[in-house]
Amino acid sequence: MKVNQNMAEQKRDKIFSRGFKFNIEDRVLLLSVVLIVLVIFFGVTKERFLTVNTIRSMAFQCPEIGLMGLGMAIAMIVNGINLSINDTANLSALVAGLSLIELAPLFVGYEFLLVIIAFLIAIGMGIACGALNGLLIGHIGVPPILATLASLTLYRGISVAVTGGKTLTGFPEELSVIGYQTVLGVPIPFIIFLVVGVLMYVVLEHTTFGFKVRMLGTNPTAAKFSGIDNKSITMKVYILSGILGAIAGIIVMSRTNSVAYEYGTRAYILQALLISVLGGISPGFGSIIGVLLATFTLQVISTGFNMLLLGVRGSSFFKDFSWGIIFIVILIIDHLMHRRRGIG
Amino acid sequence: MKKILNSHEFVVFLILVIISIVIGLRNPLFFSASAIFDIIRGSIVYCIMALGVLMVLISGNVDISFVAIAAMASYSTHMLLLGLGYTGGIGLYLVIAIFFGLLVGLAMAFITTQFNLPIFYVSLGYQTLWYGFNLFFVGRAMNFDLPEGLVGYYSRFLVRVKDPVAGETGLHVSVIYLLVIAIFIWWLLKYTTFGRGLYAMGGNREVAIRAGFNVKSITYLMLALSGGLAAVAGVIQSAYSRFFNPVLFMGQDLDVIAAVVIGGAAITGGRGSVIGTILGVVLIQVLNRGLIFMGVSAEWQKMVVGLVLIIFVSIPAIAERRQGRLKYFPVSKEK
Amino acid sequence: MREELIRVEHVSKYFAGVKALDDVSFSINRGEIRGLVGENGSGKSTMIKIIAGVYEPDRGDIYINGKHYKRLTPIASIQEGIQVIYQDFSLFPNLTVAENIGINRVISKGGRVVNWKEVYESAKEGLSRVGTDISLDAITGKLPAADRQIIAIARALLEDARLIIMDEPTTALTQREIQYLFKTIKDLKKQGISILFVSHKLNEVKEISDSVLIFRDGKKVLDQEAEELDIKTMEYYMTGRRIDTSSIAYSEPEEAPPLLKVKNLNLNPYFSGISFELKPKEVLGITGLLGSGRTELALSLFGELPAESGEIWLEGKEIFIRRNQDAIKEGIAYVPEDRINEGLFLEQPISDNLIVTIADYLASKLGIISNQAKLKTAEEWVDRLEIKTPSVENPVSSLSGGNQQRVVLAKWLASNPKLLILNGPTVGVDVGSKTAIHELIRDLAKQGMGIILISDDIPELIQTCNRILLMRNGKIAEEFQREKVNEEELHRHLVAAKS
Repeated sequence: MKVNQNMAEQKRDKIFSRGFKFNIEDRVLLLSVVLIVLVIFFGVTKERFLTVNTIRSMAFQCPEIGLMGLGMAIAMIVNGINLSINDTANLSALVAGLSLIELAPLFVGYEFLLVIIAFLIAIGMGIACGALNGLLIGHIGVPPILATLASLTLYRGISVAVTGGKTLTGFPEELSVIGYQTVLGVPIPFIIFLVVGVLMYVVLEHTTFGFKVRMLGTNPTAAKFSGIDNKSITMKVYILSGILGAIAGIIVMSRTNSVAYEYGTRAYILQALLISVLGGISPGFGSIIGVLLATFTLQVISTGFNMLLLGVRGSSFFKDFSWGIIFIVILIIDHLMHRRRGIG
Repeated sequence: MKKILNSHEFVVFLILVIISIVIGLRNPLFFSASAIFDIIRGSIVYCIMALGVLMVLISGNVDISFVAIAAMASYSTHMLLLGLGYTGGIGLYLVIAIFFGLLVGLAMAFITTQFNLPIFYVSLGYQTLWYGFNLFFVGRAMNFDLPEGLVGYYSRFLVRVKDPVAGETGLHVSVIYLLVIAIFIWWLLKYTTFGRGLYAMGGNREVAIRAGFNVKSITYLMLALSGGLAAVAGVIQSAYSRFFNPVLFMGQDLDVIAAVVIGGAAITGGRGSVIGTILGVVLIQVLNRGLIFMGVSAEWQKMVVGLVLIIFVSIPAIAERRQGRLKYFPVSKEK
Repeated sequence: MREELIRVEHVSKYFAGVKALDDVSFSINRGEIRGLVGENGSGKSTMIKIIAGVYEPDRGDIYINGKHYKRLTPIASIQEGIQVIYQDFSLFPNLTVAENIGINRVISKGGRVVNWKEVYESAKEGLSRVGTDISLDAITGKLPAADRQIIAIARALLEDARLIIMDEPTTALTQREIQYLFKTIKDLKKQGISILFVSHKLNEVKEISDSVLIFRDGKKVLDQEAEELDIKTMEYYMTGRRIDTSSIAYSEPEEAPPLLKVKNLNLNPYFSGISFELKPKEVLGITGLLGSGRTELALSLFGELPAESGEIWLEGKEIFIRRNQDAIKEGIAYVPEDRINEGLFLEQPISDNLIVTIADYLASKLGIISNQAKLKTAEEWVDRLEIKTPSVENPVSSLSGGNQQRVVLAKWLASNPKLLILNGPTVGVDVGSKTAIHELIRDLAKQGMGIILISDDIPELIQTCNRILLMRNGKIAEEFQREKVNEEELHRHLVAAKS
């Protein structure tokens, strides 16, 4: 029986988490401690860090990548990955941007309505992008990393083809409400991020859908034999991931008041992965709280070092360096914590 | 012979030939020596990097940090040599960059083996780390200041041809590096316990350990080699393009992995070959350049490549589904 | 040929204070085939690992070829000619046969360069010692289990094995393949190689062994010539008690319209022309050898391998099953043979495993599952099936085999099925749980649930079923009434199926 068990474990050994399991509560605790230490460190060294303005600017910056991190996280919980998330965001924003321009003459005086319609179109595009991923992965059976690698190229290709590689601008004023306004001093993007985060938390932790997602991520064969419709769950997961990407795309579009096919393409996929892994997501396990904490941690590092190194050449790039180091250090601490207790 | 005809590599080769013929029929210029040399030159650097990726994929791992290692090794070497007033050729560049690449690869192997972390996870942090290192500690700007020995490197050809459109072009000398590296990696994979250990790890890691393969030292050598190859690719690419770039290859990590997978390497490990990898890279190059020859405008290229990729990853999955029912119970049947 | 190869004297082994082996002594002669029998936890795998040098005994001595060892190391064990073939064969599925057989020699010599000529030659030599000609260039993962077994043996022989330990070697083999393996074992015996054949299949042990060792609770309880033993006696020593069959109350099937009616069901190439009926309160056994189509038939009723043609009627209504969800909707439940891969979510809490089939039912209209309802339901089932665990929040992987199987049963009982299909429900389960599961099956039948029990455990079939169908080559070959058949007779018919 022993041997059988080993075989089963190997069979389900995930390529991204070989012999590697997280304890979720541990990760949330660890991230909280790291976050508090960082905030205190920056708060003490730079007075300006703990001001309303700084905090608000961080709250403006982190939602877009945080939403993509959530989209990555849900794919990783079903033992998948969504490399196309950033290009889904760009393509969705692009379609919304095009409809803003094309439909503008029909909505003179009703710009606000037009913006809402454009947002819905963006979400629709996100659903379509997610559905293609779901089709390739759930129905055809392409490994997620390959399926989303291919769809990433396709979505980016469509964006380039449609825009001719140019940046779209000149959208109605109403668009920037989402990107620039605050409610009671809290930036709207951040409110959207938190609301989405809470919804995701409820969906994953307390609904049958979330339950099935975790079961499917743990053992797809047993899920199938327990009557879970793996194809449909996979499809829904990637559609949800696509929607999260589209919302991120909308926020980017309204913050920059422009749409470009290559926005964030160089760094956002990697950052979304960083956030998801740092947040403690692994197949079948992981908490949304961890993902939110991971998002804040990266943002604090980025803003904090920017301030600390103000005036130093290339100071804004120190964050990349420190992200990499802190990410690896947290993985190592996590490992050592588990080993000490004989779990890892 | 039948074995060769059934192999994945042969299928890729066949597709390559068919695509080339189709493009060539539309535009005979595609078969000109200059076009072919151009494709070869465009493939060399990616082939060198891809061979490092190949080893990692065979072992059942995924690494996306090689692009950052290439950038760090080449850019740091350049800034260092520039500071020292070096005026010589590519030789010293390669030596120093390879040293950096090996070192960084070994450090990564230390982290993954010592703390039992998946290579993919570590490579996530590693990629940001080394790009960040380049940009913050070494320099932010592209550097066009080439030492004398590198000036004109981009047009150092083995065989020269005159082309009415492109002017003088030819077969670039760096093809020799690729040949040497490819034969070396092929030999490693086929004839050493290290190479067979990579396949064994990818097939079943537990059994590989039980069989006596030293999985740790295999991981060290694999990541060191992969780092070294990335460094070589970084230097050659920079010498081609006549500038050194702190964010060289950024965002191209997944493209290289895609090429290796098209060449028949399994993303889940245990399968892959040198020939297949080279064919995979060349196929993508032919597709990219071929579309220009077919008159497809540059903007539409990426989309076409995306569609081809989707078809490419779907076909094996569909084929497997078709056999799926019979494969359900692989026990031999009672007669 | 009574020359002693290995002798184990007074070996004891503790794990965290628990006695795994208690003063065990035995010996194996050259060219002897020794059967080793015992239930899970009887200490047989601990013994294998001590002989292989993986574990160090706490007390006792080992003599190999007359040489005294206080403890062995894996290397010393291999150098003394001891080879263990584990249940999973330890092969690389992606590599060729030649490499799987030949690579060990390259590594054990510490070489860095692979000489393929040498690999092929040693592979050829290994296969010739087994006397078979599997293609050296075949990819190992694509071969049937029997061939993979032979490859593992060939590899062991190349290390100049004098004793080959086979751990449950027949688990994945069909009857024909088993006979082939037995022939190979007898050939090895002729070459003077000793075999330790470790298995829980008593009939196989009896058939192949010269003498039999039985372990129970870490002690050697029997050491006897195989000829002098019958299966009943072996079973008695193995379990420590005569299974009392009279305690299980039978309910006579009702003379009512059938609960389940299967008419002319076909699925190429697994089975064809299957027709049978299941009456209310009846337990129907289906048996047959591996490859007879018994598992495929069950999977077909459960929608995992939908039938190509034929009819299935449940409670007088024709039902159409194209996928698992259809079957579950109609009230059909399936307890799989491979519970680790197909039945359980090992790393997830027991509670989540228990509610997986009724999650939709437990949830509110919005799809929200309350934690309270989940825990309450889970605790109820833990109580009802007496699952031993400190908390329902613990992962299933923390449970013993018997308790894990109870979780699989409970998850299906929670869905209150009309028809329960059990495939090998007591494989790898301790005796206590086994009896409890048998009683539960009878009890459920009495309450009106239709039950199909698929098994090759003959006493189990006779104890729990009203009627037994024997499958052969994808067809129902024979039917037995419980009261009209005994164990020996059923066994004879079952094994006759190989012809």
